[in-house]
Amino acid sequence: MSEPVLSIRDLSIDYVGLDSDMHAVKAVSFDIGPGEVFGLAGESGCGKSTIAFAISRLHRPPALIRSGEIVVGGRNVLDLDADELRRFRWRDVAMVFQSAMNSLNPVLSIETQFYDVLHTHAGMNRAEARARAAELLRLVDIPAERLASYPHQCSGGMRQRIVIAICLALNPKLLIMDEPTTALDVVVQREILQRIDALRRQFGFSVLFITHDLGLMAQMCDRIGVMLEGELVEVNDAQSIYRRPRHPYTRKLWASMPRLRGERVRLEGGDA
Amino acid sequence: MRDLVRQLRHNRKALIGLLILLLIIGAALAAPWLTQYAPTARVGRPHQPPSAEHWLGTTRLGQDVFARLIYGARTSLAVGFGAGVMITVLGTVLGIVAGYRRGLVDEIINFATNIVLVVPNLPLLLVLAAFIGQASPWVIALILGLTSWAWGARVTRSETLSVAQKDFVKSAEMLGEPAWRIMALEIFPNLISIVGINLIGSVIFAVITEATLEFLGLGDPNAVSWGIMLYNAQNSSALTVGAWWDLLSPCVALALLGLGLALLNFAIDEISNPRLRTGSRIQRWTRLVRAGEGRL
Amino acid sequence: MRFLLGRLAFYVVAFVAAATVNFFLPRIMPGDPIQIMFASAGSQLSMENLNALKLTFGFIDAPMWEQYLKYLQSVFTGDLGVSIKYFPLPVTELLARALVWTVGLVGSATLVSFTLGSLLGALAAWRRGSLFDTVVSMLSIFFSSVPAVVISLVALFVFGHSLNWFPGGYSADPLLDPAFSAEYIGSVVYHGTLPMLTLVTVLIGGFAVTMRNNMINLLGEDYIVMARAKGLSESRVLFWYAARNALLPTFSSLAIAIGTVLGGSLVTEVVFNYPGLGNLFYQAILARDYPVIQGQLLIMTGAMLVSNLIVDLSYVLLDPRLKKA
Repeated sequence: MSEPVLSIRDLSIDYVGLDSDMHAVKAVSFDIGPGEVFGLAGESGCGKSTIAFAISRLHRPPALIRSGEIVVGGRNVLDLDADELRRFRWRDVAMVFQSAMNSLNPVLSIETQFYDVLHTHAGMNRAEARARAAELLRLVDIPAERLASYPHQCSGGMRQRIVIAICLALNPKLLIMDEPTTALDVVVQREILQRIDALRRQFGFSVLFITHDLGLMAQMCDRIGVMLEGELVEVNDAQSIYRRPRHPYTRKLWASMPRLRGERVRLEGGDA
Repeated sequence: MRDLVRQLRHNRKALIGLLILLLIIGAALAAPWLTQYAPTARVGRPHQPPSAEHWLGTTRLGQDVFARLIYGARTSLAVGFGAGVMITVLGTVLGIVAGYRRGLVDEIINFATNIVLVVPNLPLLLVLAAFIGQASPWVIALILGLTSWAWGARVTRSETLSVAQKDFVKSAEMLGEPAWRIMALEIFPNLISIVGINLIGSVIFAVITEATLEFLGLGDPNAVSWGIMLYNAQNSSALTVGAWWDLLSPCVALALLGLGLALLNFAIDEISNPRLRTGSRIQRWTRLVRAGEGRL
Repeated sequence: MRFLLGRLAFYVVAFVAAATVNFFLPRIMPGDPIQIMFASAGSQLSMENLNALKLTFGFIDAPMWEQYLKYLQSVFTGDLGVSIKYFPLPVTELLARALVWTVGLVGSATLVSFTLGSLLGALAAWRRGSLFDTVVSMLSIFFSSVPAVVISLVALFVFGHSLNWFPGGYSADPLLDPAFSAEYIGSVVYHGTLPMLTLVTVLIGGFAVTMRNNMINLLGEDYIVMARAKGLSESRVLFWYAARNALLPTFSSLAIAIGTVLGGSLVTEVVFNYPGLGNLFYQAILARDYPVIQGQLLIMTGAMLVSNLIVDLSYVLLDPRLKKA
C-alpha cells in the first residue's frame, strides 16, 4: 500500500473540566490511503467530530490534545508552528461542516469567501480569484452570477455545494466531511454525495466521511471505522462491516437502522 | 433554581458581589449600633475632616458623614430593591403574557414596550419629577417602577416565545391546563435566570437613577439618602472648599453597591449562558498546557 | 425601503407619545394646570405674553381633544413657547444653542467609547480566559455599574481640582469670543476633553461587555470555524468573520443605549457646568421653567429617534440580509 494521506496514531483528546476531564478520544489510530473514502461511524458524542477538528487543529479550549500524532504528507500536524499551520490548512486538508446553513459567513458575499482562500494561499488578486471561483462553481453546477450573492439568497443544498467548491479551490489531498448532509433533505443529500464521489474520481482526493448513518456510509465508503465512547472499536472494509460486523456495538448499530436491501451499491452517475 | 444557587456558590464573582452587598445591608441594618450620631443632627463644627470622633468628617451643616452614609444606605437599598422588584414584576408579567398569548395582546404590549424604549428614560423621569416637585424617595421609587419595565418586558417576551415551543408546554396545553397555570408553573420557572438578571439590573438602575434625580435637585432635600448627600455636598461647594470627604463618601458607597450588584449579575449571566460559562475550566486548561500535559 | 418607512412611521408615533406626556402631565397634577405650568412666571410676563404662552400649550376654552390637537399643532410647527427664566428667548432657540454642545460632546464620546469598547470586547473574547480578558472584563463591569454622577464627580475632583490638568467648567474660555480661530477652537477642545473622557469612561464598559458576550456567542458558529480551517490569518478571521458579525447585535444594542448615553451626558454636563442640553435642563428644573423642561423631553426624544434612525440606516448597510427587503 502506498504511503497514507492521513495517518493518525494513538490520538487522545480530552475536554478539560473543573476538576476532572472528559476523555473524548482515547488512543485512536487509523490510516487513510490515497483516493480512499474512509468512514467514521458512531452515535453523536462518540468523538468522531472531535477527531475531525483535531486534524486541522481547529479545537479551542477547553479541548486538549493529550497525546498522539496526526501525520499528513510526512509531517506531524501537531508540530507545525502558527505560520506552517496556516499554510497547511485548506491546502492539504479541506473540510465540509455539519450545518449547510451556517458554514458560510452571512454578511460576506460568496465571492469574498472564495477570494479569502485564493488570496491567502495562492496570492491571487480580486479578478483572478473571481475567474477561478467561477470555474470552481461550474464544477458543482452553480452559475457564476451567484458569486455576487450572499448566503441567505441561496438554498441549503446550494450553500453546501458552494462550500464543496471552496474546498476544491486548492486541490487538497484530503476532504473531511463532518455530517455534511444532516440539515438537508434526502434528495439533496443524495445529490451532494453523488457529486462528491464524482469529484473525488476526477481529482483523486481522499475523503474522511463522518456520519451516524451507517447505511449511507456503507454505500459511500471503502473502509469504515466504528467508534464507541471515544474508542475505535472496529475498522474494516465496508463490505465486511455490512456483512460480518465483528464488534457487538457494530451489530447494535446495524440493528437500530432500517435494513438495507440487496447489494451494496456505489453511487454512480451524477454529471460533474 | 437549586442548581443556580449551587453554581453561584462556586463562582468567585458571585461570592465577592454577595459579600459587598451583605456588607452594605449589614451596615444599613446595624446603623444605630455602628454610630452614636443621628443622621440629621448637627453634632460638630461644619466641614471637619475625618477624625477619630467623626470617621468620615462632617458636612457643612455639621452632620456626621458616616452616620448619614449608613442611614442613607437604608434609603438607597430600599428604593433600589423596592423599585427593582416592581420593575421586574411588571416586566416579567407583561413579557410572559405577550410572549405566550400572542395575538392582539402581544401587539399592544410589544408596541407599548417599543415606544417606552425609544423615549429616553432619564429626561422622562426628570420631567415627571419636575411636575411632582420635591419627590420623596418613595415617590421616586414608584415612578421608576412604573416607567422602566420595558427592557425587561422585551427580553422576557423573546425568551417566552422560545420556551412556549417546548414539549412540556405543549403537553400541558394538551392536558387542558388553564393559560395562567401554564404561564406561572411551566413557563416562569424556565425564565428564572432572565428574571434574576432583570431584577439585579433593575436594582442597579434604580439605585443609580434615584441618586441622579436627587443630585439634580429633584429629591426631598431633607431625606437621608446617598443622592441627597451628593446634592448637599455639591451645593455647599464641598470640592472648592476642599471638603472631599463630604462628596467622595457617597461616591464610594454608590460605586461599591453598583460593583457588588454588577458582579452578581455577571455571575448569573455566566451561569445561565453555557457559552459564557467555561471561565474557570479555561484557567485549568491553561495550567495543563503550561505544564506540557497537552496541546491544541 | 419598506423596513425604513416602517421605522420612520414608528418614530413619529413615539414622538407624539412624548408630546402626549407633556400635554397631560400638568393636567393630571392636582391643582390648576395653568397655575402649575406658569407659576414661576410671576410678574415677569405681561398678560399678552402669558396668553400667547397659554395658546402654545393648548390652554384654550375648548374640549380636551381640541386642546390636545392645538398643542400637537404647536409642537409640529416648531413652537415650543418662550422660556420663563430667560424671557423672552424662545425655547427652540435656547435648545438649539445648547444642542450644538451636546451633540459635539455626546457624538465624540459615543464614537470613541463604542469603537474602543467594541475593540476591547472583541479582543477579550478572542483571547478568552487570558489576563487581558480578565482585566478588560473586570474594568468593564466596574465602570458600567458605577453611576455617571459618581464618575463625573470623581473625575472633576481628581483631574480638575487636585491635579489641575483640566478646567472644571464651561465649553471654552469665557474671555474668548467665539470665532473660527485656532485659539478659540483649541480652548473648546481643552474644555471639552475632560467631560468627553468622563463620558467615555461611563459608556465604554457597557459596550465592551456587550461586544464580548456577542463575540463569545458567535465564536462557536460553523462559519468562524470554517474561516479558521481555510487557513486565513488570525486578524482576518477576527475582524472579518467574528468581530464584523458580532458588531451587528452590538450595533442594535447601541440604539437602546443611546438613552443611557443621553442620561449620562445630562449628568456630566451638570457636573462640569458644560453649556449643553443637560445643563440647560438642570437650570430649568431649578427655576421650574416648565416650557423649557417640556421642550427638553421633546428634543431629547427627537435626538434619540434620529440616533435610532442612523443606527437603522447603518444596520441596513452593514447587514446584506436586510438590503433586498
